[in-house]
Amino acid sequence: MKFTTFSAFVGPSVVMMLLFIAFPLISVFVQSFQVTQPLYEAVEVETCTPGFLTQTCVIETRNQPVLGEDGKIVTETRWVGLQSYANVLELGRAWDAVSAGSWRALMAIDFWKALRFTLSFTLLTLPAVIALGLALAVAINNAGKRLRGPVIFVSLLPFIITPVIGALSINWLFRGDGILTALMERASGQDISMFAQAWTIEVLMMLYRVWHVAPFAAIVFYAGLQTVSSDSLESALIDGASRWQRMKYIVIPHLMPLILFVGMIHLMDSYRVFEEVVGFSSQGHVISLQWLTYDFLQPDQAGNRSISRASASAMLTMVGIVILLIPPLKRSWRDHRKAH
Amino acid sequence: MATALARQPVSLKLLSSGFLALWCLVAAFPILWIAVMSVKSPVDAFDDRFWNVVTGPATLANGSGVSVLGIALYLAACWGMVRLVARQMPSLIGQIPPRRRWIGWVLGAAVVTLGAALVLFVLLPTLLAVLNPLAGPLGRDVFGFTTEHYRTVWIERGFLRNFQNSMIVTCGVVLVSLTVGTLAGYGLARSGSTLAFWILIIALVFRALPHSVLVAGYLPVFINSAEILRPILGDAAPTLYGKPLAVIAVLVAINQPFTIWMLRSFFQNIPADLDEAARVDGCTHFQAFRRVIMPVMWPGVITTGLFSFLLGYNDFLVTSLLLDAQNQTMVPAIAGMFNRETTTTDQVVAVAAAVSITAPLFILVMVFQRQIVSGLTAGAVKG
Amino acid sequence: MIFRTIALVGSLGIAASMAQAACSFDNETPVSSLTAGFEAWKAVTDAMAECGNVSASLDQEFREKQPEAFAANPALYQIGGVANSTIVPLLNAGTIRPLDDLVAEYGAALKPNQLIRIDGQTMAVAMMVNTQHLMVRQDILDELGLPVPATWNEALDTAEAIREAGLVDYPIGATFKTGWDLGEEFVNLYLGEGAAFVDAENMPSIANEAGIRSLETMTAMTEFMDPEYLVSDSTYVQQQFQQGKIAMANLWSSRAAAMEDPGESQVVGKVTMASAPMGSQRPASSIWWDGIVIAQNIPDEEAAAAFRVAMEGLDEEMVSANNDAAVWLVEGYVPGPLAAGAAATAEAGAAPYPGSAPMGIMHTALGNGIAAYLTGAKDAQTTLADIEAAYLVAAREAGLVD
Repeated sequence: MKFTTFSAFVGPSVVMMLLFIAFPLISVFVQSFQVTQPLYEAVEVETCTPGFLTQTCVIETRNQPVLGEDGKIVTETRWVGLQSYANVLELGRAWDAVSAGSWRALMAIDFWKALRFTLSFTLLTLPAVIALGLALAVAINNAGKRLRGPVIFVSLLPFIITPVIGALSINWLFRGDGILTALMERASGQDISMFAQAWTIEVLMMLYRVWHVAPFAAIVFYAGLQTVSSDSLESALIDGASRWQRMKYIVIPHLMPLILFVGMIHLMDSYRVFEEVVGFSSQGHVISLQWLTYDFLQPDQAGNRSISRASASAMLTMVGIVILLIPPLKRSWRDHRKAH
Repeated sequence: MATALARQPVSLKLLSSGFLALWCLVAAFPILWIAVMSVKSPVDAFDDRFWNVVTGPATLANGSGVSVLGIALYLAACWGMVRLVARQMPSLIGQIPPRRRWIGWVLGAAVVTLGAALVLFVLLPTLLAVLNPLAGPLGRDVFGFTTEHYRTVWIERGFLRNFQNSMIVTCGVVLVSLTVGTLAGYGLARSGSTLAFWILIIALVFRALPHSVLVAGYLPVFINSAEILRPILGDAAPTLYGKPLAVIAVLVAINQPFTIWMLRSFFQNIPADLDEAARVDGCTHFQAFRRVIMPVMWPGVITTGLFSFLLGYNDFLVTSLLLDAQNQTMVPAIAGMFNRETTTTDQVVAVAAAVSITAPLFILVMVFQRQIVSGLTAGAVKG
Repeated sequence: MIFRTIALVGSLGIAASMAQAACSFDNETPVSSLTAGFEAWKAVTDAMAECGNVSASLDQEFREKQPEAFAANPALYQIGGVANSTIVPLLNAGTIRPLDDLVAEYGAALKPNQLIRIDGQTMAVAMMVNTQHLMVRQDILDELGLPVPATWNEALDTAEAIREAGLVDYPIGATFKTGWDLGEEFVNLYLGEGAAFVDAENMPSIANEAGIRSLETMTAMTEFMDPEYLVSDSTYVQQQFQQGKIAMANLWSSRAAAMEDPGESQVVGKVTMASAPMGSQRPASSIWWDGIVIAQNIPDEEAAAAFRVAMEGLDEEMVSANNDAAVWLVEGYVPGPLAAGAAATAEAGAAPYPGSAPMGIMHTALGNGIAAYLTGAKDAQTTLADIEAAYLVAAREAGLVD
């Protein structure tokens, strides 16, 4: 294919990605090395605010930004090098914690706390999703022809449901004396609070994610199962291979590319875990890397936001993703070289 | 031989179907549960006793309930309608020439929705009002049941407008995303250049980006776009904030990486000989694409389209930030209902809205379920 | 059912056409507003809509959108809804206009108490106050023969007595959800001690006796609370109160009406609204106001139309129709028993929330930092020191501290 034809085909897509993903990304990258601040001046201000019946007036010194001639706040942008990264990583404190051998002190630092959770979330849900997906695909494939349709339909529900609503509905089932918690309480005879300690919330978040994503894995694997050649299965049967051996030596290798595909997608999606933190309001106990970035970006009521630290933490998150993606990327590169 | 493969010990069969049954329960329970909550009074909906939520004594005490006869009638009606639609609709639409078939689908969907609403909300209630007194104990209200919250959502809160906005955004995302994505996917599948490889890799990295980082950067640019673009476009420069089109563009861009990866693997599975042959016959690449590839690409496109649909329909981060109340979509509207200073009644109303937003997804999966599986079978196997 | 639906739609239509007549003038300039989404704003924006050509955005993201939308030229909205703290970014950026002329021309019905004056200029018009005060189950107190507690120490003793009597699941409820809510609870207690959050150079000053006392009160409270307190926001606490699971809570006055709503509350008529418990100096609460501002970057005629529309939204008619939706400052408000708690808190001398740029940062740092103390991961000194350190990093980045 000639380059002009190629670019005509690919052009619109690339332009959109450049405009809405690459440019913001570059500006995030630049901002992570900069700090932009308004110039403040101290002024004496009298403020009168309403009470229930009468006003209270106070005179106080306030720091107000200086307004320029165009009526906009005068800001000053400085290059600060790696300062914002240092602020996010808090390497000094982290090092002290590590050399003192105190896990707890390390976990008191937001970034490391978030990294710990994000990694364990990603690495624990990954095998669970693949295993549940495979089991479901095999079970659906095993089921009678007439049952398959309805079962696939029901299985897909957790995947299609709007994440905000899925998280909320799980929330109602377990929060306080939600009916499932009440059920567990009756079964165990103890008072159970699922949202009172970190580990139960973490388990709930992971279960929710597995519930939400496993159907996707299952449906992809199920599609893959339809293309397993029955010839090789039959010859394995003649050779006396057991059910388990057939699974292990024929079906799984056939599905391997799909397992890698689902695994990679899941790796990317769960590394940026965020909705669960908001949906389960877990921020008092556990936080994730994307939530940390989001929290830096969220303006407080007085309008302050930590853009530089947010940018730095976003870039750090990205570095993490690239590291996680290196093995599959290397594989694609080898395939590419082999093919051409 | 095939029968030998299919033969299984009973224990394995039991295990496998038991596992499926358990999974179906786990998969459907939360959704069924919010559906049950949405038809109860606030006191019942948030009760911590299982049976109180199911039977709804407080709702019943308020005088809204449904009898055993009523439940039977409603279930029968639903089942009958599903059967009717599943049997008749494809054959009816099959009679329409293929080019106009989409009109058939749209009309069909409209008729089905109207018909279902008519039967469920008009015909059956009138019928029940007559039959219940005649049916004795079977006709007595046993379960608390009220459609009041749905009425609040759709009539008083004007959820219909949010629904329309959602449809505009979602359909826009699907259409643009597929148009741009099929072209790119085809180009990438047929070009073995290193440039194509790097585009794919970079797209993969883009897919992995945390969205909140990108989205926060859009807001100031979108709000001030009129000022920014004025030197170029003059007074016609638009304020992009609050425009569904702008949101569609952003969502399409965010969705592009996944779309082009997906479609590329579909196109790779269509033998290149097909379009080569067309090229030999003197077609350009575009003509070959249109005449040879387009007729066979639909399974893959439908599956990819479905993923785009889910993304556009379910998005919260982008739509909540870049749209204002006049053109807000359903998801941020519901999140708003939950997050503002709510009373318990408001919460149940929001639950009803949450069930309403899930219904179209239900129908979508019901209709396209077969295509999803066949589309994935056709393409994604190569990974 | 269909008849009822038709009747309902019909009556809505009539209500709408009647309401149309309720505005004193016919507004022809398109006016739009961006406010928070709670009940009182709904009442006010609905009343504004009666004038025609008004479109209201009740947006939960308003905090993020407002500064940008008002900085645009022309501003995207004419009317904004603000509170003590959310007015700060607009004031700082100079994107809202002084209202003195407009008040003189169209604001005859306003009370002086409603005018938010900054350096002598009216910058906003307040419509309501909101404050956290004690709601307590009178029936339980009567049963135990206890008075309404006046300080947090008394409240804790009362909670102990209630727990021993085993009358409710959790004697105390509080909005301890990590983030803004948790920060606000600390702010209330700390204000009750009469200490300052930052000094004149914007340096943090919470690592002191008052800070430690506030934290200790918080842990003492958690003894009597639902163990899931770190996820409990006001809606959840309100719901638990309505279900009779909580005996007392320092809750927002805007939540008071819900306790008396027979449709969802099981404690109707059993709740007393009292002043927030006293700290050593003042009630452990802060007074908030909500009100409207008008954008700077719009033509004067538009501003005038917007202000007139806003005045229609804040008139007596609206208040008498929504008397219990808030503690209104507007003429015509009849304080009922539900407002008694807010009134008592204000009379006892509760401080206004000290909204400012440094305070915004401090509030965030508190909201994120206190959870570690409550879960037992840090002691009080370390917690306060860490919060000060977090504040300093953010304040340096914002340019407030050198």
